[in-house]
Amino acid sequence: MNDALDVALRLLVVFVVFLTLPLIVGQTEHKVMAHMQGRLGPMYAGGFHGWAQLVADGVKFAQKEDIVPAGADRRIFQLAPAVALLPYLLVLLAVPVGPGEGAVGQVLDAGIFFVLAVMGVGVLGSLMAGWASANKFSLLGGLRTAAQLLAYELPMLLTAASVAMAAGTVSLPGIVDAFEWWWLPWQIVGGIVFFVAGLAELQRPPFDMPVADSEIIFGAYTEYTGLRFALFLLAEYAGIVVLCGLTTVLFLGGWHGPWGADGLGWVWTLLKAAVLAFVVIWLRVTYPRLREDQLQKLSWTLLIPLSLAQIALTGVVKVVIR
Amino acid sequence: MSLAGAPQGFLSPTGVEIAFLLVGLVTFGAALVTVTTRQLVHAALWLVVALGGLAVEYLLLTAEFIAWVQVLIYVGSVVVLLLFGLMLTKAPIGRSPDADSGNRWAALTVAVAAATALIWVVVDAFRATWIDLDGPAAGSTEVTGASLFQNWVLPFEALSVLLLAALVGAIVLSRKAKTDSSSPLANSRTATESSRLITKSDEDSGSPSSGPKGRGGRSERVEANKRDDRGGPAAQEGAR
Amino acid sequence: MAPLPGSGLAKGLAVTLRTMTRKTVTEQYPDAQPELAPRTRGVIGLFEENCTVCMLCARECPDWCIYIDSHKETVPPAAPGGRERSRNVLDRFAIDFSLCMYCGICIEVCPFDALFWSPEFEYAETDIHELTHERDKLREWMWTVPAPPALDPGAEEPKEIAAARKSAEKLAAAARAESPEAAGPGPAGSGAPGSGAPGPGPDGPGAAGSNPAGPGAAGPRAAGAGSEGGDA
Repeated sequence: MNDALDVALRLLVVFVVFLTLPLIVGQTEHKVMAHMQGRLGPMYAGGFHGWAQLVADGVKFAQKEDIVPAGADRRIFQLAPAVALLPYLLVLLAVPVGPGEGAVGQVLDAGIFFVLAVMGVGVLGSLMAGWASANKFSLLGGLRTAAQLLAYELPMLLTAASVAMAAGTVSLPGIVDAFEWWWLPWQIVGGIVFFVAGLAELQRPPFDMPVADSEIIFGAYTEYTGLRFALFLLAEYAGIVVLCGLTTVLFLGGWHGPWGADGLGWVWTLLKAAVLAFVVIWLRVTYPRLREDQLQKLSWTLLIPLSLAQIALTGVVKVVIR
Repeated sequence: MSLAGAPQGFLSPTGVEIAFLLVGLVTFGAALVTVTTRQLVHAALWLVVALGGLAVEYLLLTAEFIAWVQVLIYVGSVVVLLLFGLMLTKAPIGRSPDADSGNRWAALTVAVAAATALIWVVVDAFRATWIDLDGPAAGSTEVTGASLFQNWVLPFEALSVLLLAALVGAIVLSRKAKTDSSSPLANSRTATESSRLITKSDEDSGSPSSGPKGRGGRSERVEANKRDDRGGPAAQEGAR
Repeated sequence: MAPLPGSGLAKGLAVTLRTMTRKTVTEQYPDAQPELAPRTRGVIGLFEENCTVCMLCARECPDWCIYIDSHKETVPPAAPGGRERSRNVLDRFAIDFSLCMYCGICIEVCPFDALFWSPEFEYAETDIHELTHERDKLREWMWTVPAPPALDPGAEEPKEIAAARKSAEKLAAAARAESPEAAGPGPAGSGAPGSGAPGPGPDGPGAAGSNPAGPGAAGPRAAGAGSEGGDA
């Protein structure tokens, strides 16, 4: 009984985190983006600096009519948002925020593989949406999504493998436990490659070619409206949370910090993830969208060679210090 | 691991065993639908279910690492590649009337034969083997890695050589189309570019449907230009 | 030296970060009134005491959005025995702001300064008909017309002031010119007491300059004038 209660409590906490953190990231994006463009951003909803803007958006989405296009593949069309969103919920289960078993939803033996595998499944939702919408813009978006996923999954995996080599384990808490401060310069290239590839996999600007609104409307999500559209958006922001959490855990040492390591480790994790989330928004505001061929070129001619070099470096250092 | 003793038996299945069976049935059903459905994309998505079901089976057998790799490679990459390919075709939203190769019976025979052979071999090999699910995980990453790189390292390397061969083959295949119709200077970039142009124009003029039309359009355009030329001086004279 | 690869990317990041730390330019309009420029064209006010119903504004309006009705009244003669005069009396003056394009031509052409720009702009209506502002409303707007802003430093003088100043300067110059002449020839001549008389003042210098006879000839005239003045 106590075990069941414990599991239920953990699931509840993860679910609440899953629902709140993406909204916080979204609100931060509203505000940060506005100020980076010399604007104020939302100011009214909720009274104080528009803090409830996304809640209001959610209410608006919930009120909208749920439309399925006549020519669409109904079942797949309706299933796609869930396929896009659920993997991130599952991934969040495995991301540790603090030391010990109390600060992670579920300790997994092959945490890295679980996380990367399930994140790859999330893209399936976009593909299903793109195909089932019976819309050529959606189809183009789906194609671009698939091409992007194929290009960026590899560097992500390779850099994650580099960290796993360094730590000698594929369990996420195990990696953070093995972390030393000098891993930071050692794995910095891998970290950057991982982060960039993750951004591309989330289709965040500047890698948002699959949803490029100026040419293919909104890519795979063109035909969506109401709550299902909101679920896709939520998936994107949940993806940001997951990506920042993962980068923190894999490359930035999670709960390790210069001070306050006892008891306050989770603060470090959240702080690092928040800084990374800010960087995600910052990059979005700063850079223009990459063209499709530039996207592919960046991955195959820069990120993959870099990640291979990182693996080589990791291997050499690992052998030398042994 | 061979504990064919008293505690195990088919008559009092544990929860894990029941779950294993049920997931197996689901996987089997999904696989059947995959090959029988006439909606191409649905087939790919049912394949996702089948492969995911396999991953769950691995999980139930405590082979966590294999399970996640299964999801990563098959669901995350192979099916995405499959869908990518399907999207490039003219797969309709509904049923494809021509999605049948006509080899139904041959395929069925091969499938049944393969299944029979596999089942026979597996049952024969692991007839009395039981996996102890309660003890230390028999399929954890550490165990898998150790056995892979200690006992099975030669087959592993042989497999990677196979993959390398496939890679080289892919490169050769993708380069061959260019070198066929090009000049000997196939290696230089400009040469390949120009050769592509050559092949393209060859195809254009060679195809019977587009060739005459294109030529007709061009001659018309030339005539129009002439008419313009003629009209130009006349108009000027009129102006004078 | 070639720029470092990626320095452009860093520069872009720096730009956005710097902008984030600066003050935003958002106008929080309904909460805070906007700072309007002087001479803002918000609405047109009518100062109907100045209006002579000349109809210039209505005729020049490109949108034909000014409506004027008037009638004539006769006014009794100012002096007994004089002719009766007629006068235009304004009955209706309306501007349809749903048509107005805020070109300001009516205000420019008004010869009697009866129309003015007011910076008020919050007069949206839910019914388009209410955007036709009648006389009383236009008069209400008149009270929101701000004082004309000060001229820019170094700007050209307004014509009225320039004209007034010119005549004032002329007068002053004349006065200055006369006083030395009166002081000069006065003792040389008869030393009449009426040298300050205004009559000969303006032509005094001219006479002094053009007369070849010199002060001797001018003397008697001045003395004569002086004596006349003295006589009067």
